[in-house]
Order: sequence, then structure tokens, then C-alpha cells
Amino acid sequence: MKYKKNKNFLALVATFLILSCSSQITVLDPNIPKPVIASSNLSAAIKYPDNFEDFSHEEQIIGADKWQIKLGGSNKILFNKLFSSIFNNFIILDKDSALESTTDILIEPEIEAFEFSVPKQSQTNAFAVWIRYRIKIYDNKGKTIANWPISAYGKSETGTFSNNNDLGHAAILAMRDAAALIILQIEKSSILK
Amino acid sequence: MIMKERLKIISILIPNSITVPLLLLILLSACVTARIEDNRLGMTGLNEGEGIVIIAKSYHLGNETENKFISCISKNMRDGASGLRIISNQEFVDSLFPWFEPRTAPANMQSLPLLMNRPGVANIIKNNSIRYIIWVDGNTDSTGGGGNLSCAVGPGGAGCFGFAWWSDDAKYEASVWDLSDFSEDGNVTADYSGTSFLPAVIIPIPFIARTQNRACQGLAEQLKLFIVG
Repeated sequence: MKYKKNKNFLALVATFLILSCSSQITVLDPNIPKPVIASSNLSAAIKYPDNFEDFSHEEQIIGADKWQIKLGGSNKILFNKLFSSIFNNFIILDKDSALESTTDILIEPEIEAFEFSVPKQSQTNAFAVWIRYRIKIYDNKGKTIANWPISAYGKSETGTFSNNNDLGHAAILAMRDAAALIILQIEKSSILK
Repeated sequence: MIMKERLKIISILIPNSITVPLLLLILLSACVTARIEDNRLGMTGLNEGEGIVIIAKSYHLGNETENKFISCISKNMRDGASGLRIISNQEFVDSLFPWFEPRTAPANMQSLPLLMNRPGVANIIKNNSIRYIIWVDGNTDSTGGGGNLSCAVGPGGAGCFGFAWWSDDAKYEASVWDLSDFSEDGNVTADYSGTSFLPAVIIPIPFIARTQNRACQGLAEQLKLFIVG
């Protein structure tokens, strides 16, 4: 009986230790503001890969905590907001649609890499997030007209008692950075001309 | 006058051998040295209804100004009898997204006219009556420390013994951009150093030098004077 009680206690302590060594952050909506840009009369469609519905990244920091960041559908919200501001006629295609489109251009975004650092690793008081997207743009015949790597960065400082939400905030800042980079890249290209 | 009264009370209450080190500690706890300078390049002034935005320079440029320092300056410039109209930093950045993001924010005065020529930007600034942007650069760093302090807990109680100290250095520079004529009106620099002490004889008594807070108050006051005179 005594042994059983001890076992339960040990299980409880072990569960507590495991839980206390892992952090989970969820970003539901990055709340990206409407960009201040002139929109184009071109029509555009976007086709999302599967992981844009429920993106999640997990990392075990050596000798420290395990972190999981769930971006869910926030990338989709970001790109919908961004491209619907750039293109007056903007539609979302399902993943099985062909590359030939009825619209002037077709956009295919992808998350190539996701990395982050926490204050314990960087020996600073900041969380940092790097997201590398790849944006492929096709014309209405399916020919590639752009293939851009977009390396976005976000940094969020934290206080004496670090808050897990600061990592989520750094991810949102990285998404905002990606939006800024895509706008600059589109401006530089001949896509809208 | 107040200090004299304090000295009198302390000298009555405590023997002389203890009074001297205690007084030294009290005096040292307030040890923050300050230097504020401004460099004026143009005339300033603020018409009724005109506002100011205070933003940290981009971290893409290696700047590490703390968010709480920006909030502190904004609060200090907004409050008081001579308070100015300070526009929320986040609202401003959001309203002009993505042109004041860390990557896209203008790094110098030359790039400002280009930004103002972008569709919608000048209108948003005009509609919000934003006259000045103040860019803040710098941060507060711990510059050193030392001493030895140890604490112990036993069945009879707990206590600490020892002495520890540390120094902070707050260096900030605020550049004032006038959006009415796209000119840089000058800058204000603040350099504050402070040393904190933690003596402990059973109970640790902290004497904290609030270096960053003092730098914020000093810079905010000087910026107010710089803009409205």
C-alpha cells in the first residue's frame, strides 16, 4: 500500500518535471495590419501546401527545455491578407488545382525552414525567430516567373522572468518581416508591370 | 534641509562608529552620474494638435533599445503640465505597415522623401498630425560588479552575510526628425552611470541605482525642452 502511494507520488513528480521542462506556444492570428500599398488590377490565385493549415515546429534545446511552437493556420492568414491587398482580384485554390490558372498569376508559398533561439541559448534577453519561405509565382500558362527565397527574422525582448508568449511575438515579427520582404520583392520585379 | 534632519535623527539613534558607514552607504546608493547634451541643427516648435512618435532604431542595424525604455520616454513626455501629444508607437507602425518595420524603416533623412512619395503614406501622416519622429538608439548595459554574498537556512532561522555591488551604464541618443520639412532638427544624448550595492548582515538591504529610469526621465525632459523650448 505504502509502495503504491510512493509510486503514485513519484509518477506525479515525474509528470510535473516533464511538463515543467517543455513549453508550448500557439499563434492563432498574427494580426498583420492591412499594408499601405497601391493594389494591382492583375488577378491572382494562391495554392497552399498542407502544412499551412497547421504548421508546428518542435525543438529540444540541448541541456534545457523542449519547445513547441504551433503557428496553426497563421501563415495562411498572413498570405491571404498580404496578397489580397496587392491584387484586387485574389482567389484561394485548393491543393489539387492545376498550375494552369484562369487568373493572371498563380502563387505557391512554402515554408522551407523554421528556427528559433531562446534567451538561454543566445545569452541575451531576447527570443529570435527565423522563417525561410519560398515563393513561387507562375503565369497563366504554368511557366515560373519568380522563385524567391524569403528569409524573415523577428526578435522579441523579454524581461527578468521570461515569458513564453515572447517567442510567439518573435514569430509574429518574423511574419511581418516576411510580408515586408515580399512587398519589396514584388516591387523590384516586373510582375506588376 | 531634509537631509540635515535625517542626519540629526540618525546620529541620535545610532552610535558614531555605525553612523559613518551607514551614511556612506546611503550616499553611495544615490550614486548615479548623468550627462545630457543636445546638438541643435534646426528650429523646432509644435503647433496645437501636432504629435510626436517615439520609435527605437531598427534591430537590423544592431540597436538594442529596450521596449520599456521607449514606453518610459513616451509616458514622461506625455505626462505633466507641459505634456506633449505622443502617438502610440505600435499604432503608428501598424498604420503605415510595412514601411516602419525593422527592415524597411528609413535609416536616414535622405530616404524619408522617397517613403513619403509612396501611395497613402503622406496622407496617413498628415491625417494623424504627426510632426516629429524621434528615433532612439542605445541601451542599458551592466558594466561590472563584484563582492561576495552568501545566504544560509538552518533550523534556527535564515540569514545572509556579505556585500555585492554592480554597475549599470545607460547610453541613449535620440534623433529628432521634422516631418513638416523633412529635416533633422538635431539630437539629444544621455549618458548615465550608476552603482548599486547589496550589503547583508542577516538581512540584505539593497541600495539600487535606478540608472535606466533616471536616463529615461532625463532624456524625456531634455527632449521636451528641445522641441518646445
